[in-house]
Amino acid sequence: MNDFLALLPLLIICSGAILLMLLAAFEKSRLETATYLSMGFFAVAFFVQLLVGCGPATAVFAGVFNGMLVASTFTQAAGLIILACGFFTAMTTHSYFKVNLFCTLEFYAIMMFGACGMLLLTLSQELITSFIALEIMSLAIYVLVGYDRSNIKAAEAILKYLMLGAFAGAFFTMGTALIYGGVKSTKFVEIGAFCAANSATAPLIIGGTFFIFVALLFKAAAFPFHAWVIDVYDGASTPVTGFMATALKTAIFTVFANFLAQNSGLHGSWVTFLFYISVLTMFGGNLIAIGQNNLKRMLAASGIVHSGYLLIALVAISTEHFTGSVIAYYLAAYAAGTLGMFAALAYLGGEGEKRCTFDDFKGLAKVRPYSAAAITAFLLSMAGIPPTAGFMGKFYVITSAISADQMALAVLGIVSSILSMWYYLRLVINMYFHQAEENFETQGSVFATACTFILVFCVFAIGIYPIVI
Amino acid sequence: MFEYALSVMIFLPILAGLTLFLFPFSGGASRITGFIVSIVVLFLGVELFLGFSGTTGAMEYAESKAWIESLGIRYSLGVDGISLLVLMAGAILFPMVFTVFSTRTKGFYANLLITQGAMIGAICATDMVLFYIFWEIMLLPIFFMIGIYGGPNRLPATLKITLYTISGSLLMLAGIVYVGVAYHNQFGAWTFDIVELSKLQLSGGSAVLAFFMFMIAFAIKIPLFPFHTWLPDAYTEAPSSTTFVLSAIMAKIGVYGVIRFVVPVFELELARFAILLAFAGVIGMMYCGLAAIAQKDMKRMLAFSSASHMGIIALGVFCMNVQALTGCLFQIAAHATSTGVLFLFIGLMEERMQTRNIADFGGIAYQAPIFATFFAIAMLASVGLPGTSGFIGEFLIILGAIKFSGFIGFLAGTSLIIGVCYMLWMFQRVFFEKPNERTENFKDLTISEALTFLPVILLILAMGIFPQPFIKKIEPTAQLHIAESSIIIAKNQLADTTFPIALDTHQKN
Repeated sequence: MNDFLALLPLLIICSGAILLMLLAAFEKSRLETATYLSMGFFAVAFFVQLLVGCGPATAVFAGVFNGMLVASTFTQAAGLIILACGFFTAMTTHSYFKVNLFCTLEFYAIMMFGACGMLLLTLSQELITSFIALEIMSLAIYVLVGYDRSNIKAAEAILKYLMLGAFAGAFFTMGTALIYGGVKSTKFVEIGAFCAANSATAPLIIGGTFFIFVALLFKAAAFPFHAWVIDVYDGASTPVTGFMATALKTAIFTVFANFLAQNSGLHGSWVTFLFYISVLTMFGGNLIAIGQNNLKRMLAASGIVHSGYLLIALVAISTEHFTGSVIAYYLAAYAAGTLGMFAALAYLGGEGEKRCTFDDFKGLAKVRPYSAAAITAFLLSMAGIPPTAGFMGKFYVITSAISADQMALAVLGIVSSILSMWYYLRLVINMYFHQAEENFETQGSVFATACTFILVFCVFAIGIYPIVI
Repeated sequence: MFEYALSVMIFLPILAGLTLFLFPFSGGASRITGFIVSIVVLFLGVELFLGFSGTTGAMEYAESKAWIESLGIRYSLGVDGISLLVLMAGAILFPMVFTVFSTRTKGFYANLLITQGAMIGAICATDMVLFYIFWEIMLLPIFFMIGIYGGPNRLPATLKITLYTISGSLLMLAGIVYVGVAYHNQFGAWTFDIVELSKLQLSGGSAVLAFFMFMIAFAIKIPLFPFHTWLPDAYTEAPSSTTFVLSAIMAKIGVYGVIRFVVPVFELELARFAILLAFAGVIGMMYCGLAAIAQKDMKRMLAFSSASHMGIIALGVFCMNVQALTGCLFQIAAHATSTGVLFLFIGLMEERMQTRNIADFGGIAYQAPIFATFFAIAMLASVGLPGTSGFIGEFLIILGAIKFSGFIGFLAGTSLIIGVCYMLWMFQRVFFEKPNERTENFKDLTISEALTFLPVILLILAMGIFPQPFIKKIEPTAQLHIAESSIIIAKNQLADTTFPIALDTHQKN
């Protein structure tokens, strides 16, 4: 029964996607109804996911799937984050598409298919399944990125993302093939057993792991595969960017952590590699973010920096007692702040996202004090200032790093977050310390405000929720 | 009722501040709300002071609730001799801010209340993580107060103070986590409770690194030379009430943090680097004192003077003996009252004259005798004249400094003279000499203003003439604190270490 429950959220979202696809095909629904429907499906799936009671790791339908799908508390948490991201993104689109008129019904179906891929990715414990899930997710996201066909920036974004993403997919299959050649299996557990019995330094294993890392690091926007992020996040419409930045990252880091946690030999031999990747990701991201004038580009670059912090957590995971709670917590904290930022940008951006730079938000606090306060809360959370969720997330990451004897990494993480203060504070300064130059009229619905304020609540609520490292 | 007095003192101002933010209040209503809240806190603070026994040196009014059990983080508060006077400064001086200036808006008062709550939280917290959370929260309102309500050059000043302090505190976060992890490795359990953590035996490169992370955070906040560069700008640009908060209370929390968190945990590292830090304190004293002489702007002069005095207070900690520590704790309260009041006085003068240039004043004493008397008392307390509160603390610190190192004591003693120079010279130019056409209409304190300042002026005199009731409450804790550290230092004979500085301090002790 519990096996079925573990799969049920995935099935709900999938059937919702198919239903919306059919409604779109027969033109039976209005756009608003589709928004409500997708919100409803995400909400129901979220509550079902809450009911899943699973221990450390249980194979889902072990007889049928042969241990390819494994549910654990970690995957449950990741699933919750993804479903919540879907819900809030759908809520954000409600007002966004009132002023930006390029949406059709299929948008929601595709978004839900993407969420299916992400949920499957969190559960998968095997390379081929991961690849399929990765592609389901990526195909949906490609379409979403280029949804506004009349927009030249969106066209540029989809082209870049599609080409590079296809390469990443190819690397992933290549890696899978090499590992299969070495281990004669693609299951994470068997790879781990092989590395424990033999050695993780066999050429086929090294090559295969390297290619898989390339693909995962590409999707996670880590150095040196981070250059696409800025243009793609900028070109995609704001709600889609928010969805990509949060849900997609959650799915990728979940499978990444699952892959490493099953395999202490592999983790041990790649830890130095991941150390440097994480440091370079943090500092590279910061360097890019400091120079940006456009908010979406700044947030994209700050997403790279946050990938760097998540990589710290990956370096520090304990393969013996893997719970993944630090990673899940950080992802939740990051998702709340980032989604909130994009939700606020979606309704404050106005028609055609005309307000998009730091300067456009000058004096927001004088005209719309509550929106400015909400944005400040999100920024403080992303910067890691107490009492927000972002602070606790960072605190757990640093604690896990120092516990794993990675003092240097912890200090570098701190230095990086000092650097990041500059661009987060810059927006706060623009909003509060300047006079307003316009009146920030918006045509947002009540959903936009509701979404923002629920997320503000989440930013503080997640902050006081304790976890076990 | 007094079981939760500390929680009430922390969260009443914070909740009041948030309420002001969220609902539409007028500026006047916010001011009255703020005043009432600060009076309640004042009342609680005085009750707490009177009820504080202070004989054992242990934590009183302690509260402790589990928060994040997996990491042993607790919501635990308490007051002992170290925090008592700092807490008093945070609780007693606040109502003045609400009575003297009337021009501010609701957002300003809301920020002021949140700072007060967070500062009291930082003073009372006995769990390092809880302390860190309040420590960071108290900076945010300052950021907004300087940035929105500050002077013409407020933007660079805001950025400077914010980036400076946040860098320091983020480093301290790494230090805190290191201490927690080290405790977990040694004792097999997680805790961030300061009493438990003082049992730690830290050694090696990481410990020195963590020590410096803590010290940089506190050195920036105090500010200790050479981390003082944010101070003149921030103090000058901030509105007078914010400068008052910064100088009277927030800077003291930096010193308090060193005594509370660095001394018990890093006693060996502190002993090893004490002479270096003591020199930083003395150099800061001299440098900022000399800089104060040269200032034309009264507020900026006072800002440097405040930094100079923080140098001697910090010196009191680094000497690591009972006299200096007691003096330091006493001086924290004394300096909070005198400098805090002086900044408010300058705010009043600015409000009346629209200028802060020393050259624009003259002859105020003839127009406003009461004001001049009050100002003179606060100023003399600030320079440490016997009979005022400033004398006792500085005397004890110098005594301790001579015990620690004759040379440092000599330097500190002579540097005090610089303070007398700039203060008296300023007083002469502003209050005596010929009145000009601007100062001829200078109004004396109104009755409400005079009544606001009178208790603090009396407190300054009382602390100078009868210091014993205050010292009695802080001395047992100071003794306990020093005794615990010196046992550990004595156990670890420092002579075998490779650091040359350590040899130096050891001989001097």
